[in-house]
Amino acid sequence: MSDTRAQPSVLRARPPASPPRQPRGYWRLHWRGLSVLIERRGMLALLALALLGAAVAALSLGQGSVRIPPGRVIAALLGAADAPTTLVVRQLRLGRVFAGAAAGAALGMAGCLLQTVARNRLATPTTLGIDNAATAFAVASVVGVSTSLAPAAFALTGALSMLALVFALSGPGDTRGYRFLLTGMGLGAICGAATNIMLARAPIDAANQAYPWTVGTLNNRAGPTLALLGWSLLVLTPLALVLGAALNVARLPEPVARSLGVRITQLRVGAIALAGLLTGLAVAVIGPVGIIGLAAPELARRLAGPRSVPVLAAGLAGASLTMLADLAGRTLCAPSELPVGIVAALVGGPYVLWVLLRTPQGALNA
Amino acid sequence: MALERPQSIKPSSQLTLLCAVLLLLSVAASIGLGAGAVGPLEAWSALGGGGDAQARLVVLTLRLPRTLIAVLVGLALAGGGAMLQAAARNPLAEPGLLGVSAGSATAVVIAIALGLGHLHIIVAIGGALLGCALVLGAARLSGRGDDPVRLVLAGAALASILAASSATILLFDQRTADEVRFWTIGGIAGRSLAQVMPALPAVGLGLIGAAVVARPLAALALGEQVARGLGQHPQLIRASVVGCVALLVGAATAMAGPVGFVGLVVPLAARWLAGPDIRRALPVALALGPSFVLLADTLARLVASPAETPLGVVTALIGAPVLVLVVRRQRLPSL
Repeated sequence: MSDTRAQPSVLRARPPASPPRQPRGYWRLHWRGLSVLIERRGMLALLALALLGAAVAALSLGQGSVRIPPGRVIAALLGAADAPTTLVVRQLRLGRVFAGAAAGAALGMAGCLLQTVARNRLATPTTLGIDNAATAFAVASVVGVSTSLAPAAFALTGALSMLALVFALSGPGDTRGYRFLLTGMGLGAICGAATNIMLARAPIDAANQAYPWTVGTLNNRAGPTLALLGWSLLVLTPLALVLGAALNVARLPEPVARSLGVRITQLRVGAIALAGLLTGLAVAVIGPVGIIGLAAPELARRLAGPRSVPVLAAGLAGASLTMLADLAGRTLCAPSELPVGIVAALVGGPYVLWVLLRTPQGALNA
Repeated sequence: MALERPQSIKPSSQLTLLCAVLLLLSVAASIGLGAGAVGPLEAWSALGGGGDAQARLVVLTLRLPRTLIAVLVGLALAGGGAMLQAAARNPLAEPGLLGVSAGSATAVVIAIALGLGHLHIIVAIGGALLGCALVLGAARLSGRGDDPVRLVLAGAALASILAASSATILLFDQRTADEVRFWTIGGIAGRSLAQVMPALPAVGLGLIGAAVVARPLAALALGEQVARGLGQHPQLIRASVVGCVALLVGAATAMAGPVGFVGLVVPLAARWLAGPDIRRALPVALALGPSFVLLADTLARLVASPAETPLGVVTALIGAPVLVLVVRRQRLPSL
């Protein structure tokens, strides 16, 4: 649904304060014959989220068994600190923080695309059962096959096939996106049952080895998978931005969007495929922490306002939230560590309840 | 009207016959089939006191208790599901999906971690009560109780919070983790009758409560105003339903761990067979529930024999496709 504030008011009695060529709430940039409209609130939200992400990253790099103040963290990143500090920051913590940020960004963008396509704010990797599928596949590769096939590749396969199955089974023409959610929950329950069978029947060593895949943690990030996620983000983020801009028109009622020339089916399939790819890559690195994909777009929408589909803001918010959850899990009950998935569920679950219970009927549309 | 008088709420004789035959068949399967070498005929003669010592041991100490526990769990979960669906007027209100079982399971995990494992029936009932009250209460307070999907999503969120809490506890307490690793999947293998005896009064009380509250609940199905006009107290009815459901689901969870989807599939079949009136559907659900759990448990023994498949896994594998099918229908079936 488009927001009424976004539409020009015809009935306004007094003339608008700004000149008519520059709409309210936008900046207009000129360069030779080109001019671009930049939405003011969205841009400020992006800046704020980027600053937040940088702050959390610096904090996260500094916290742990050895505390390093932010100033020295930055010095170490630039190569201007003493050797032990540089070792801790660059070798030990940077990889983990980067994994959290990349996976969180991917989940945030995927959640934003999925919610817009399903037209429901609660459509996320978790509620669609994608998490469960990725977990089941990863556990299968850890437990079932004696030579460990890369669990990350299996997680990616699981996530993609689950997403395809959910959208294929739930059928077309559901305006509120509820059928997506319930079909996903049902299929997710099947995958959860499969995971349980495998864990219960596996020898205890294999079950322990598979454990990280069932909770979601940044401990088992594998180098190649992380690199794959990083490079894919470089390619997929511009694609997501383009799709997000196109989806903004598709948020109008379907006949209206069609009459405006939006190829709605192609757009949907593209967005779903992209979201599946992003989710699968993220889950392959971090495990089932899909609740980030619910909270991040929500935060982004709240900051950026209703005029656009805030794909990039959702990505930044997801990165910040994931790094925060990991930081909390590492520091709150040190020296032991809470997996990031558990922290996210403990914080994100109440948040879902709150969204569900305070939002009026029919206003869950993304 | 005379037509709606009690004789019409009795189930038809064909339906009674069907339920009875199904129950007999499933009890026979549960006693006669298993991973061991004791076949159906041998098992039946052992039950009558014949057969060799090995067969008597298997049948009397393993299969018979298991069958009785499955019957109790089936009664409790099917009754709890039927009541909850009628009270929430929501065909998807299943104890597992609404987080009631999860509340119960988390409470038991906490109790075991605190060394109060012997109280686990009471704790499980308390947890179920809390979960039930939390989801239904929150949904009612904000006036969203009528939206089936929202209620289920709220339940899923609650269940995920609770699962994360128990995972946190288990992470720090390896001893408890070992103790509940199999229990949290849901299964009735290896439970003795003595272990489940304390749950018996809770199931009995819950079923009596269900029988008493069924009639007012049927009035509530006509709408709040009509129910008031008929001299009922909607709040009182709902509170007593929550109490009954907590007793039943808590007892079932204490006996078998969180077993999902029984409370969805069985009442669905019961309404399909007997119509939406809770006075008709409840007895049919209570008759079908034990059959369903018995058959699922027998399957759990046979599928990966000689290993056991957890009961909760079997019910999820049967129930989740049913959920998808229900959702795929053009309209969500209403109550």
